[in-house]
Amino acid sequence: MKTIIEILKEIRPEFDFTVSRDFIADGMLDSFDVVTLVAALDKQYGISINGTDIVPENFKNVEAIEALLRKSGARP
Amino acid sequence: MGPLATVGQVFDAIQTVKRNAPEFCTNFFPVQRKLQGWIDHGELFGEVHRGAAFFLRKDRDFWHLYFCAANKESLAREITGLPELKRDPVVVDLVGNEEVSNDLSNLLKPEGFRPYRTLYRMARISQSDSQPSHGGGTPINCAVSTDAPLIWELLGRAFDRYAEQLPTLYEIEAAIDSHQILTAKHNGTLAGLLFFETQGLTSTVRYWLVDEPFRAFRFGSALMQRYFAAQTAVRRFILWVLADNENAIQKYRHYGYAADGLVDRVLLNQIIQA
Repeated sequence: MKTIIEILKEIRPEFDFTVSRDFIADGMLDSFDVVTLVAALDKQYGISINGTDIVPENFKNVEAIEALLRKSGARP
Repeated sequence: MGPLATVGQVFDAIQTVKRNAPEFCTNFFPVQRKLQGWIDHGELFGEVHRGAAFFLRKDRDFWHLYFCAANKESLAREITGLPELKRDPVVVDLVGNEEVSNDLSNLLKPEGFRPYRTLYRMARISQSDSQPSHGGGTPINCAVSTDAPLIWELLGRAFDRYAEQLPTLYEIEAAIDSHQILTAKHNGTLAGLLFFETQGLTSTVRYWLVDEPFRAFRFGSALMQRYFAAQTAVRRFILWVLADNENAIQKYRHYGYAADGLVDRVLLNQIIQA
Protein backbone atom coordinates (compact mmCIF):
# COMPACT_ATOMS: atom_id res chain seq x y z
CA MET A 1 0.00 0.00 0.00
CA LYS A 2 1.27 3.49 -0.87
CA THR A 3 2.16 5.84 1.93
CA ILE A 4 0.55 9.25 2.22
CA ILE A 5 3.82 10.86 1.16
CA GLU A 6 3.92 8.65 -1.93
CA ILE A 7 0.36 9.62 -2.86
CA LEU A 8 1.18 13.30 -2.38
CA LYS A 9 4.32 12.92 -4.45
CA GLU A 10 2.29 11.43 -7.32
CA ILE A 11 0.00 14.49 -7.29
CA ARG A 12 2.73 17.15 -6.97
CA PRO A 13 6.12 15.60 -7.70
CA GLU A 14 7.89 18.96 -7.66
CA PHE A 15 7.47 19.43 -3.90
CA ASP A 16 9.17 17.82 -0.92
CA PHE A 17 6.27 17.11 1.42
CA THR A 18 8.57 15.94 4.20
CA VAL A 19 9.78 19.47 4.96
CA SER A 20 6.46 21.33 5.27
CA ARG A 21 4.14 21.55 8.26
CA ASP A 22 1.34 23.18 6.24
CA PHE A 23 0.93 22.03 2.64
CA ILE A 24 -1.92 24.48 1.99
CA ALA A 25 -0.33 27.63 3.41
CA ASP A 26 2.93 26.69 1.71
CA GLY A 27 1.14 26.47 -1.65
CA MET A 28 1.98 22.82 -2.21
CA LEU A 29 -1.65 21.72 -2.62
CA ASP A 30 -4.41 23.78 -4.22
CA SER A 31 -8.14 23.11 -4.25
CA PHE A 32 -7.91 20.90 -7.37
CA ASP A 33 -5.11 18.91 -5.76
CA VAL A 34 -7.17 18.41 -2.59
CA VAL A 35 -10.04 16.94 -4.60
CA THR A 36 -7.56 14.70 -6.44
CA LEU A 37 -6.04 13.70 -3.11
CA VAL A 38 -9.44 12.88 -1.60
CA ALA A 39 -10.24 10.63 -4.56
CA ALA A 40 -6.84 8.93 -4.24
CA LEU A 41 -7.27 8.40 -0.49
CA ASP A 42 -10.85 7.13 -0.93
CA LYS A 43 -9.60 4.60 -3.47
CA GLN A 44 -6.43 3.60 -1.64
CA TYR A 45 -8.14 3.06 1.73
CA GLY A 46 -11.62 2.01 0.56
CA ILE A 47 -13.35 4.86 2.37
CA SER A 48 -15.48 7.91 1.55
CA ILE A 49 -14.19 11.09 3.14
CA ASN A 50 -17.07 13.33 4.14
CA GLY A 51 -17.60 16.61 2.30
CA THR A 52 -17.52 18.59 5.54
CA ASP A 53 -14.07 17.17 6.20
CA ILE A 54 -12.70 18.58 2.95
CA VAL A 55 -11.29 21.67 4.64
CA PRO A 56 -7.69 22.92 4.58
CA GLU A 57 -7.03 21.95 8.21
CA ASN A 58 -7.44 18.27 7.36
CA PHE A 59 -4.82 18.36 4.60
CA LYS A 60 -2.21 20.65 6.08
CA ASN A 61 0.32 17.90 6.86
CA VAL A 62 0.74 14.14 7.04
CA GLU A 63 -0.46 13.95 10.66
CA ALA A 64 -3.68 15.80 9.80
CA ILE A 65 -4.29 13.51 6.81
CA GLU A 66 -3.68 10.45 9.00
CA ALA A 67 -6.18 11.76 11.56
CA LEU A 68 -8.71 12.34 8.79
CA LEU A 69 -8.19 8.81 7.49
CA ARG A 70 -8.75 7.37 10.96
CA LYS A 71 -11.90 9.46 11.37
CA SER A 72 -13.09 8.19 8.01
CA GLY A 73 -12.63 4.57 9.04
CA ALA A 74 -9.26 3.79 7.49
CA ARG A 75 -6.13 2.43 9.11
CA PRO A 76 -3.28 4.53 7.72
CA MET B 1 -32.51 28.66 -5.10
CA GLY B 2 -31.86 30.39 -1.77
CA PRO B 3 -28.99 32.64 -0.69
CA LEU B 4 -26.24 31.03 1.39
CA ALA B 5 -25.27 32.74 4.63
CA THR B 6 -22.31 30.69 5.85
CA VAL B 7 -19.46 28.64 4.45
CA GLY B 8 -20.71 25.82 6.69
CA GLN B 9 -23.93 25.62 4.66
CA VAL B 10 -21.88 24.96 1.55
CA PHE B 11 -19.87 22.18 3.18
CA ASP B 12 -23.01 20.68 4.74
CA ALA B 13 -24.57 20.51 1.29
CA ILE B 14 -21.47 18.82 -0.12
CA GLN B 15 -21.42 16.33 2.75
CA THR B 16 -25.07 15.44 2.25
CA VAL B 17 -24.31 14.50 -1.34
CA LYS B 18 -20.91 12.93 -0.86
CA ARG B 19 -21.85 10.56 1.97
CA ASN B 20 -21.48 7.00 0.67
CA ALA B 21 -21.00 8.24 -2.89
CA PRO B 22 -17.88 6.61 -4.38
CA GLU B 23 -18.73 8.00 -7.85
CA PHE B 24 -19.02 11.55 -6.56
CA CYS B 25 -18.56 14.12 -9.31
CA THR B 26 -18.23 17.87 -9.09
CA ASN B 27 -17.10 21.05 -10.78
CA PHE B 28 -16.91 22.86 -7.44
CA PHE B 29 -13.43 23.41 -5.99
CA PRO B 30 -14.11 26.09 -3.41
CA VAL B 31 -11.31 28.04 -1.81
CA GLN B 32 -12.56 29.09 1.62
CA ARG B 33 -11.43 32.72 1.26
CA LYS B 34 -13.26 33.13 -2.05
CA LEU B 35 -16.35 31.35 -0.76
CA GLN B 36 -16.45 33.76 2.16
CA GLY B 37 -16.17 36.73 -0.21
CA TRP B 38 -19.05 35.50 -2.37
CA ILE B 39 -21.21 34.91 0.71
CA ASP B 40 -20.34 38.28 2.27
CA HIS B 41 -21.40 39.99 -0.96
CA GLY B 42 -24.65 38.00 -1.32
CA GLU B 43 -23.45 36.38 -4.56
CA LEU B 44 -23.85 32.69 -3.70
CA PHE B 45 -27.08 30.68 -3.79
CA GLY B 46 -27.65 26.98 -3.40
CA GLU B 47 -30.00 24.05 -2.86
CA VAL B 48 -29.72 20.35 -2.19
CA HIS B 49 -31.64 17.80 -4.25
CA ARG B 50 -31.74 14.01 -3.99
CA GLY B 51 -28.16 12.98 -4.70
CA ALA B 52 -27.01 16.37 -5.93
CA ALA B 53 -26.36 19.91 -4.72
CA PHE B 54 -26.34 22.97 -6.94
CA PHE B 55 -24.84 26.40 -6.40
CA LEU B 56 -25.26 29.55 -8.46
CA ARG B 57 -22.83 32.46 -8.21
CA LYS B 58 -23.74 35.88 -9.53
CA ASP B 59 -21.11 37.38 -11.85
CA ARG B 60 -21.83 40.65 -13.72
CA ASP B 61 -24.86 39.84 -15.92
CA PHE B 62 -24.85 36.04 -15.67
CA TRP B 63 -24.50 33.10 -13.26
CA HIS B 64 -21.86 30.42 -12.73
CA LEU B 65 -23.33 26.99 -12.01
CA TYR B 66 -21.50 24.61 -9.68
CA PHE B 67 -22.66 21.11 -8.82
CA CYS B 68 -21.80 18.18 -6.57
CA ALA B 69 -23.46 14.89 -7.37
CA ALA B 70 -23.35 11.38 -5.95
CA ASN B 71 -22.83 10.14 -9.50
CA LYS B 72 -23.46 11.18 -13.09
CA GLU B 73 -26.95 9.65 -13.12
CA SER B 74 -27.99 11.78 -10.13
CA LEU B 75 -26.58 14.86 -11.81
CA ALA B 76 -28.42 14.18 -15.08
CA ARG B 77 -31.67 13.49 -13.24
CA GLU B 78 -31.63 16.42 -10.81
CA ILE B 79 -30.27 19.17 -13.04
CA THR B 80 -33.46 19.03 -15.09
CA GLY B 81 -35.29 20.41 -12.05
CA LEU B 82 -33.43 23.73 -12.03
CA PRO B 83 -35.75 26.42 -13.41
CA GLU B 84 -32.86 28.91 -13.54
CA LEU B 85 -31.33 27.05 -16.48
CA LYS B 86 -34.38 27.80 -18.63
CA ARG B 87 -34.71 31.39 -17.44
CA ASP B 88 -31.31 32.93 -16.68
CA PRO B 89 -27.94 33.21 -18.42
CA VAL B 90 -25.78 30.44 -16.94
CA VAL B 91 -22.17 29.40 -17.50
CA VAL B 92 -20.69 26.13 -16.30
CA ASP B 93 -16.99 25.28 -16.05
CA LEU B 94 -16.00 21.62 -16.19
CA VAL B 95 -12.53 21.17 -14.80
CA GLY B 96 -10.57 17.94 -14.95
CA ASN B 97 -8.59 15.88 -17.38
CA GLU B 98 -9.81 15.67 -21.01
CA GLU B 99 -11.83 12.51 -20.39
CA VAL B 100 -13.65 13.70 -17.27
CA SER B 101 -14.52 17.10 -18.69
CA ASN B 102 -15.73 15.52 -21.97
CA ASP B 103 -17.99 13.08 -20.10
CA LEU B 104 -19.58 15.85 -18.06
CA SER B 105 -19.91 18.08 -21.10
CA ASN B 106 -21.89 15.39 -22.95
CA LEU B 107 -24.06 14.90 -19.90
CA LEU B 108 -25.06 18.59 -19.79
CA LYS B 109 -25.87 18.95 -23.48
CA PRO B 110 -29.47 17.71 -23.10
CA GLU B 111 -30.01 20.59 -20.66
CA GLY B 112 -29.23 23.08 -23.42
CA PHE B 113 -25.58 23.70 -22.57
CA ARG B 114 -23.26 24.06 -25.55
CA PRO B 115 -19.46 24.11 -25.71
CA TYR B 116 -18.16 27.65 -25.73
CA ARG B 117 -14.43 27.77 -25.04
CA THR B 118 -11.70 25.62 -23.52
CA LEU B 119 -8.84 26.65 -21.27
CA TYR B 120 -5.66 24.75 -20.53
CA ARG B 121 -3.71 25.01 -17.32
CA MET B 122 -0.02 25.59 -17.84
CA ALA B 123 2.67 25.16 -15.22
CA ARG B 124 6.29 26.11 -14.86
CA ILE B 125 8.56 24.62 -12.24
CA SER B 126 11.29 27.04 -11.28
CA GLN B 127 14.87 25.83 -11.43
CA SER B 128 16.82 26.48 -8.28
CA ASP B 129 19.77 27.74 -10.35
CA SER B 130 17.73 30.21 -12.44
CA GLN B 131 18.71 33.82 -11.97
CA PRO B 132 15.90 36.38 -11.81
CA SER B 133 15.93 39.15 -14.39
CA HIS B 134 14.58 42.52 -13.34
CA GLY B 135 13.09 43.69 -16.65
CA GLY B 136 15.54 46.36 -17.69
CA GLY B 137 14.65 49.99 -17.27
CA THR B 138 10.89 49.86 -17.88
CA PRO B 139 9.11 51.24 -14.81
CA ILE B 140 6.87 48.57 -13.33
CA ASN B 141 5.09 49.32 -10.07
CA CYS B 142 2.47 47.81 -7.81
CA ALA B 143 -1.03 49.09 -8.55
CA VAL B 144 -2.48 51.70 -6.19
CA SER B 145 -6.05 52.01 -4.96
CA THR B 146 -7.01 54.64 -7.53
CA ASP B 147 -6.10 52.16 -10.29
CA ALA B 148 -8.87 49.73 -9.27
CA PRO B 149 -11.68 51.05 -11.52
CA LEU B 150 -9.27 51.39 -14.45
CA ILE B 151 -8.09 47.81 -13.96
CA TRP B 152 -11.68 46.60 -13.74
CA GLU B 153 -12.52 48.38 -16.98
CA LEU B 154 -9.40 47.16 -18.80
CA LEU B 155 -9.93 43.52 -17.76
CA GLY B 156 -13.58 43.69 -18.80
CA ARG B 157 -12.59 45.03 -22.20
CA ALA B 158 -9.70 42.66 -22.86
CA PHE B 159 -10.92 39.34 -21.50
CA ASP B 160 -13.89 37.06 -22.04
CA ARG B 161 -16.22 37.47 -19.08
CA TYR B 162 -17.87 34.10 -19.61
CA ALA B 163 -14.65 32.10 -19.87
CA GLU B 164 -12.01 33.89 -17.86
CA GLN B 165 -13.45 34.33 -14.35
CA LEU B 166 -13.02 38.10 -14.25
CA PRO B 167 -12.55 39.58 -10.80
CA THR B 168 -15.03 41.85 -9.11
CA LEU B 169 -14.03 45.34 -8.07
CA TYR B 170 -13.69 44.19 -4.46
CA GLU B 171 -11.33 41.39 -5.53
CA ILE B 172 -9.22 43.90 -7.46
CA GLU B 173 -9.10 46.20 -4.43
CA ALA B 174 -8.01 43.30 -2.21
CA ALA B 175 -5.34 42.28 -4.72
CA ILE B 176 -4.00 45.85 -4.80
CA ASP B 177 -3.85 45.85 -0.99
CA SER B 178 -1.86 42.60 -1.17
CA HIS B 179 0.50 44.04 -3.81
CA GLN B 180 -0.57 41.37 -6.29
CA ILE B 181 -1.14 43.60 -9.30
CA LEU B 182 1.84 45.02 -11.20
CA THR B 183 1.23 47.86 -13.62
CA ALA B 184 3.06 49.52 -16.49
CA LYS B 185 2.10 53.13 -17.15
CA HIS B 186 2.85 55.34 -20.12
CA ASN B 187 2.64 59.06 -19.41
CA GLY B 188 0.36 58.29 -16.48
CA THR B 189 -1.98 56.05 -18.50
CA LEU B 190 -2.47 52.43 -17.47
CA ALA B 191 -0.80 50.56 -20.33
CA GLY B 192 -0.57 47.04 -18.99
CA LEU B 193 -0.81 44.86 -15.93
CA LEU B 194 0.02 41.51 -14.45
CA PHE B 195 -2.44 40.28 -11.82
CA PHE B 196 -1.19 37.33 -9.79
CA GLU B 197 -1.90 35.33 -6.66
CA THR B 198 0.92 33.82 -4.66
CA GLN B 199 0.33 31.25 -1.96
CA GLY B 200 3.53 29.91 -0.47
CA LEU B 201 5.47 27.96 -3.08
CA THR B 202 2.84 28.37 -5.82
CA SER B 203 2.00 31.48 -7.80
CA THR B 204 -0.79 31.91 -10.34
CA VAL B 205 -0.84 34.51 -13.09
CA ARG B 206 -4.49 35.44 -13.34
CA TYR B 207 -4.26 38.15 -16.02
CA TRP B 208 -1.40 39.52 -18.06
CA LEU B 209 -2.07 42.07 -20.70
CA VAL B 210 -0.85 45.18 -22.44
CA ASP B 211 -3.52 47.47 -23.85
CA GLU B 212 -3.61 47.68 -27.66
CA PRO B 213 -2.05 51.17 -28.13
CA PHE B 214 0.99 50.26 -26.02
CA ARG B 215 2.07 46.93 -27.51
CA ALA B 216 5.26 48.27 -29.10
CA PHE B 217 6.77 49.33 -25.76
CA ARG B 218 7.78 45.87 -24.47
CA PHE B 219 5.71 46.36 -21.32
CA GLY B 220 4.58 42.72 -21.45
CA SER B 221 8.05 41.25 -21.03
CA ALA B 222 8.94 43.87 -18.42
CA LEU B 223 5.86 42.92 -16.39
CA MET B 224 6.64 39.20 -16.60
CA GLN B 225 10.30 39.63 -15.72
CA ARG B 226 9.43 41.83 -12.76
CA TYR B 227 6.88 39.24 -11.63
CA PHE B 228 9.39 36.38 -11.76
CA ALA B 229 12.04 38.49 -10.07
CA ALA B 230 9.70 39.15 -7.13
CA GLN B 231 8.74 35.47 -6.70
CA THR B 232 12.08 34.10 -5.59
CA ALA B 233 10.52 31.70 -3.08
CA VAL B 234 8.03 30.26 -5.55
CA ARG B 235 8.63 26.77 -6.90
CA ARG B 236 5.53 26.25 -9.05
CA PHE B 237 4.04 28.84 -11.39
CA ILE B 238 0.64 28.18 -12.95
CA LEU B 239 -1.94 29.94 -15.13
CA TRP B 240 -5.00 29.25 -17.27
CA VAL B 241 -4.98 30.16 -20.95
CA LEU B 242 -7.63 29.94 -23.67
CA ALA B 243 -6.87 26.93 -25.83
CA ASP B 244 -7.31 28.94 -29.04
CA ASN B 245 -5.04 31.79 -27.93
CA GLU B 246 -1.93 30.52 -29.72
CA ASN B 247 -0.17 33.86 -29.33
CA ALA B 248 -0.45 33.76 -25.55
CA ILE B 249 0.42 30.06 -25.38
CA GLN B 250 3.61 30.70 -27.35
CA LYS B 251 4.57 33.53 -25.03
CA TYR B 252 3.98 31.39 -21.96
CA ARG B 253 6.05 28.58 -23.50
CA HIS B 254 8.81 31.10 -24.01
CA TYR B 255 8.78 31.73 -20.26
CA GLY B 256 8.95 28.00 -19.51
CA TYR B 257 5.28 27.12 -18.98
CA ALA B 258 3.85 23.86 -20.37
CA ALA B 259 0.34 22.37 -20.33
CA ASP B 260 -0.11 20.17 -17.25
CA GLY B 261 -3.15 18.18 -18.42
CA LEU B 262 -5.87 20.05 -16.53
CA VAL B 263 -8.63 21.34 -18.80
CA ASP B 264 -11.51 23.73 -18.20
CA ARG B 265 -14.39 23.35 -20.66
CA VAL B 266 -16.72 26.34 -20.52
CA LEU B 267 -20.33 25.72 -21.53
CA LEU B 268 -23.10 28.29 -21.97
CA ASN B 269 -26.82 27.72 -21.70
CA GLN B 270 -29.32 28.73 -24.36
CA ILE B 271 -30.17 32.06 -22.76
CA ILE B 272 -26.70 33.41 -23.55
CA GLN B 273 -26.37 34.44 -27.18
CA ALA B 274 -22.56 34.81 -27.24
